[in-house]
Amino acid sequence: MSEVIQIEQLVVTYRDAEKRATRTAVDRLTFTVRMGEVFGFLGPNGAGKTSTMNVLLGFTHAAGGSARIFGVDVRQPIARQRIGYLPEMTYYYKFLTAEELLRAYGRIFGLDDGEIRRRTDELLALVELEPARRRLIRTYSKGMQQRLGLAQALLNQPDLLILDEPTSGLDPLGRMKVREIILRQKAAGKTVFFSSHELGEVESVCDRVAILHRGELKALGPVAEIKRPDDGNLEQAFLRLIGWPGAPKPTSDAGLADHRPTAP
Amino acid sequence: MPHSAIVILFLISLALVTSLEPWFQSWQGNRAQSADLLAVLLGDARRAFANHFFIKADAYFHSGYYPSIFDNRTAFQTPHMAADAGALEEKNTGEEDDFLGPPRDWIDAFGRRFKPASHTHLDHGGAHSHTHSHGNGQPHTHGPAAKEIELGESQDVREILPWLRASAALDPQKVETYTTTAYWLRQRMGKTTEAEAFLRDGLRANPDSYEILFELGRIADEHRKDPARARNLWELALAKWQKFELPKKDPDTFSLLQIASHLALLAERESRWDECLHYLGLWKAASPKPDEIEKRITEVRQKIPTANQAKRPAPNPKP
Amino acid sequence: MRAVFTLAHLVIIEMVRRKDIYVLFVLTALLTLIAAAANIFDDTRVVRYLKEISLTLIWVSGFVLAVTSAARQIPAEREARTLFTMLAKPVSRWQFIAGKFLGCWLACGLALLVFYAFFGAVALSRERSLDLAGWAQAISMHWFMLAVPVALALAGSLLWAAPSSNSTLTLVACFGIWLLGRHLHKVALGLPEPGATLLTLVYFTIPHLELFDIRDLIIHRWPPVPWVFWLGALLYAAAYAGMILTGAWLMFRRRPLN
Repeated sequence: MSEVIQIEQLVVTYRDAEKRATRTAVDRLTFTVRMGEVFGFLGPNGAGKTSTMNVLLGFTHAAGGSARIFGVDVRQPIARQRIGYLPEMTYYYKFLTAEELLRAYGRIFGLDDGEIRRRTDELLALVELEPARRRLIRTYSKGMQQRLGLAQALLNQPDLLILDEPTSGLDPLGRMKVREIILRQKAAGKTVFFSSHELGEVESVCDRVAILHRGELKALGPVAEIKRPDDGNLEQAFLRLIGWPGAPKPTSDAGLADHRPTAP
Repeated sequence: MPHSAIVILFLISLALVTSLEPWFQSWQGNRAQSADLLAVLLGDARRAFANHFFIKADAYFHSGYYPSIFDNRTAFQTPHMAADAGALEEKNTGEEDDFLGPPRDWIDAFGRRFKPASHTHLDHGGAHSHTHSHGNGQPHTHGPAAKEIELGESQDVREILPWLRASAALDPQKVETYTTTAYWLRQRMGKTTEAEAFLRDGLRANPDSYEILFELGRIADEHRKDPARARNLWELALAKWQKFELPKKDPDTFSLLQIASHLALLAERESRWDECLHYLGLWKAASPKPDEIEKRITEVRQKIPTANQAKRPAPNPKP
Repeated sequence: MRAVFTLAHLVIIEMVRRKDIYVLFVLTALLTLIAAAANIFDDTRVVRYLKEISLTLIWVSGFVLAVTSAARQIPAEREARTLFTMLAKPVSRWQFIAGKFLGCWLACGLALLVFYAFFGAVALSRERSLDLAGWAQAISMHWFMLAVPVALALAGSLLWAAPSSNSTLTLVACFGIWLLGRHLHKVALGLPEPGATLLTLVYFTIPHLELFDIRDLIIHRWPPVPWVFWLGALLYAAAYAGMILTGAWLMFRRRPLN
């Protein structure tokens, strides 16, 4: 199977707090993510990125359409067996140590104790948390918690890594670490699916990107194909595609063809 | 600097308190009645708690098999521990073995399995007094306390004492607490000194209590073997009764019966016939079975050796 | 099931490290020891009042521990966002609920072992013997009973956002049932309609937690409950807890988490 994520005609709606009006956060979204690629999921705030990710991770149920991971409906918990997830806000059980947290997650993935020990040692060394492995997480700084987040996301050697704004709030060293991990996953033939506002980084690591705006897909494809000659960089292409008033006007239709839905 | 300010403030407060306290104590508007902590904390609610603990003691007397406020309490209006002690006149009616009645539903029936289910008294062994039979069909109990249980002398009755003590602490004016406690202390526990001391505490809180005086007299007579002292106490009890109960429309004839009967029996023992007849007259007036007392009067008259038998009519205690 | 046991283990670790259990135990022990220090007419063998005080404190502590710990589980995870990291793993919603329930319930069981060990020591110090069958029945019935408040508080945490309101409501309900549950039908029979029908309905609907209160049997040394009824009581508690947890799962399974 070459398609890791399959999203078809996905619709996500929310009721407001008084349960009166329904807002459509994602409107008939269709795209796929192929095995081994680094896929960037972009869009301004409120575009529907988080809603889409929430459906993929089982946090929300879709109002229409379908979503599959490795061919398994995302509503089945087993769909998450082969994924690693790094949330934007990295909060973990503060009453645990890093070692205990990784052991607990390892057990949930069904790893045996020996494998858990081995992976814990490797990952804590990778994210440079070895000296603090037996300290309670409540004593960790923000940066340490984010590194721990990376470690837990890689614990089960995931075939699909889902990262929600992984470099948000990180210093340059932290961002470099994240980039290294993404490239390492790609080199190992794994798939990385991440959302980000750091378009410079997206441009440098992603094989393909999707740009969402108001719940609709505006562009899908390699960065080079999405950018037009008069787009200096991905950021300008992004602004153009979401209809930002100050963006340069289009001179051709190039870069828009990829997202047009094919007939069912 | 802030620490010095706090110290100065503390010293000023202390000076104010020590100077104002005497003035407050002598102030006309001072309504503080008691320095007792419980009275200050609970106010009049302490009487409710005292009554609750008194009833709790009776529940313990029954090893937990006791009606709640939702059950039929006619057989428990007078706490059995107090009635058995002679501290209160028994006014119980109805079925004490089955105050719950038949089960109303399956939950009630099921729930009864998890509660005490039979009527027992602690002085007869409580839960251990469950009689059971082996092949010969003769009911009996086992264990080293079996003999005591059969005689109704089990010392397990000690278990009611903490609740009685708490009741007395909360409401020192509840006289029956002292008399009930004293009875069980002296009769079952052999603690005559403690019983007497407790009664004296009660007397300090209730100086006009004829019930407590009567009970002190019983200790003097039955345990100290001091009939003179017993007579003095009972006569004082009678005087108190006549002073406080006689004017009432519905005087406490139960207590009069107790005092008069003991005075009469003591006088008979000491061959003080005139007094004996006088007290028998009082006893007859208070007794629910005056004919039997009349028989006793006749027997005593027959015992009087001299021909001069003054027949003094008994004063009618009722107005 | 690994996920369920792992979640339960996390709950137990949290409760042990939070120290709630220790505070309640110290309070129980302190109040019992103060009561034991009272001079009851120089009689050192008086013990039942101590047993009652100790057991009553254990019951109150049990309710408080069960309800407050369960009420806190899901809201705390949502607030700390650990809920998302956990449910991003191959953990289903029912496993999450079951794991939380099992953890709280097992933690209550561990706490009860400590409390009842203390109770046993108090009883032994004066009675020189312990009715082991009764003691075992008391612990097991108390533990199984606590499954119901735990389940109630977990379900309540899905209805009421604030743990404090959930805890208060659940505790009031539990104490109310414990103290008055067995009398409701009696009271209902004396009421006019529609009160009688409503109260009767309540009586037959509520979980009768008071059935598990065998303190009087332990305090006054009655023979143990027949084992078949003991088993029936445990099954009764399990059935109620199961029903409530099923309701909690039905509420939780399609609830959006964000």
